[in-house]
Amino acid sequence: MEILGQLIVSGIAVGMIYGVIAFGYQLTFATSKTLNFGQGEALMLGSLVGWSLVAVTGYLLMLPIVLAFGLLQGAIVERLGVRQAIKTKSEAGWIMATIALGIIFRNLAENIWGRDALKFPSPLPEAPLSFAGINVLPMELAIVVGAIAMMVAVEVFNRRSIYGRAVVATAGDRDAAGLVGVNTSLVITFSYALSSLAAAFAGVLIAPVTLTGATMGGVLGLKGFAVAIIGGLSSGFGVVVGGLILGITENLTGFYLSTGYKDVPGLLLLLLVLSLKPSGLFGKAAIKKV
Amino acid sequence: MNLFRRSLLAAAAIATLGATQALPAQAADPIKVGLSGPFTGGSASMGVSMRDGVKLAVAEINKAGGVLGRPILLVERDDEARNELGVQIAQELINKEQVVATLGYINTGVALASQRFYQEAEIPVLNNVATGTIISHQFEAPKAEHNFVFRTSAPDIIQSAMIAEEAVVRQGFKAPAILADSSNYGQLGRKDLVAALDKRGVKPVAEEKFNVGDTDMTSQLLKVKQAGADVILTYAIGPELAQIANGMAKLGWKLPMIGSWTLSMATFIDNAGANGDGAMMPQTFIQLPTTPKRKAFIEAYQAAYKIDRIASPVSAAQGYDSVYLLAAAITQAGGTEGDKIRAALEDLNTKVEGVVTTYDRPFSATDHEAITSNIPVFGVVKGGRVVPAHPEDLEGDKALRVKTKG
Repeated sequence: MEILGQLIVSGIAVGMIYGVIAFGYQLTFATSKTLNFGQGEALMLGSLVGWSLVAVTGYLLMLPIVLAFGLLQGAIVERLGVRQAIKTKSEAGWIMATIALGIIFRNLAENIWGRDALKFPSPLPEAPLSFAGINVLPMELAIVVGAIAMMVAVEVFNRRSIYGRAVVATAGDRDAAGLVGVNTSLVITFSYALSSLAAAFAGVLIAPVTLTGATMGGVLGLKGFAVAIIGGLSSGFGVVVGGLILGITENLTGFYLSTGYKDVPGLLLLLLVLSLKPSGLFGKAAIKKV
Repeated sequence: MNLFRRSLLAAAAIATLGATQALPAQAADPIKVGLSGPFTGGSASMGVSMRDGVKLAVAEINKAGGVLGRPILLVERDDEARNELGVQIAQELINKEQVVATLGYINTGVALASQRFYQEAEIPVLNNVATGTIISHQFEAPKAEHNFVFRTSAPDIIQSAMIAEEAVVRQGFKAPAILADSSNYGQLGRKDLVAALDKRGVKPVAEEKFNVGDTDMTSQLLKVKQAGADVILTYAIGPELAQIANGMAKLGWKLPMIGSWTLSMATFIDNAGANGDGAMMPQTFIQLPTTPKRKAFIEAYQAAYKIDRIASPVSAAQGYDSVYLLAAAITQAGGTEGDKIRAALEDLNTKVEGVVTTYDRPFSATDHEAITSNIPVFGVVKGGRVVPAHPEDLEGDKALRVKTKG
């Protein structure tokens, strides 16, 4: 029982990381029906910028700077890679453009920070807490709490503030939102900025547990994408659940089946969801009117 | 000596070189030696230490007048630990730069992919860090008439045997668990380890795998714990090894870790911090002045690169030694023709005093391994550094361990 509990608790911590990344995919998809395939790199950049700052500023003061950096980085991705594709209604231009920008960011990071894994100092004690025989790191709790807090903050912003409503309106119907005076292209830029902010925040949140480094974005970005597909790209709640499902399945498979097949069931689940409910477990089926 | 006699001698020298020889090299013509290793990327700490060790030796040799009166010129290339890039570099070094030999390779995969070009061009390769057992056997007779691949590092077959002996015999562990990454390095090492344990009559109670880049080791460690293991044997690289040590700390449980030499990587030591203390691994060189040569090497290295701790002392020392072995062979061969250097390496008649050991006929026609299992000792991580696990191993005349003749 203790082992099962331990596997689930660790799975939740990992799953929450996937969930936050997937949340970033979901943000830009909602407004522009495009994705930033450099989401993993946005996370990596946030994490490395945070790593450079944390020694000087301490963890708490570093956070707002990293968040601002994330906003800027996302806006740059949108302006350089996505805007033109949306303007010309290109179906695939943004895919290659965001992947290309991701590679550029990774090369940039390799040249600035090298490619070795770096230790990110933990703001919380590194000794585990024990609950009924189940151990958890304080930083893992912080990941879960921080991720939920950030997602709630973004949701509240979208529902309560006038700017947020512009985002929701654009997500609902871009043309109609444009007609009633919403600057939809600015909203899309903003959603990209917000999605990179989420990624950068995730980066500094998970780095004390996962180590940081220029190559950390690759696997995480991909897993986050799988989670976004499983949970549904149109559902903020879905990506959290999707993340938890993937994180917990991975751990259970690793223990009960074989650590050599740890990644397989999650991907099988992905294929299953794609064939049975392509819009994701919690996604709304999109009806495309022609 | 007057000018006339000097030019007469020169003319005679040219004549003895034979008519087939192209224009003879001028006295100051440098000897080009290739250097291939990852200077960026996950194995960069090993690659850069190796490169710096090589450069240090080359600088010393050139300062003392070079080899055959000619300076050594290094042609350095970063293979980024990528097989295809290593192949490209090998071809460039052979065809464009026309090197007389190449030193390097950290990664077994890159070595195996690249060295076939040297073999075909009959140019010797001295592997100074890569440990895959097969490396020096890839072109052994009868696969080829002459093998041009040599090695100055401790192959995995030696390391795995040492790990098994240390765990089972010296420390008396009964239930080892193996944790290895899913790369070639990890899985070939795991196979060697299982075989080495089998020889001691021990079967691992668990064999778990993970991917390079994995950050959560909970399920692997819980399986090890449930299997009732009393020691963890590892074959993986720095960052994931650190996740294993940190993962045990998270579970509030600790087993001793004994593994391949990569437990001495800075990325393990730094990222695991206190959790990594006590990890043990075979080392051909530990950064301690246990012999006068080692003392001189450490001081020269520290002065040249303005550092205190060498990122990968093993790589630096093996790289340094590989240059002196090559220089001795070129001197003995009296020229830079690949086949002559190979023949000289296989029959080296001068003792080469190196950092790792004193090389007394390190190679033969059938044996291209400079390191035998009596040379490495166990190191242990302690307070951010690797120190000898059993200090008595390096005491007195045991400090200098030379190759056993088979």
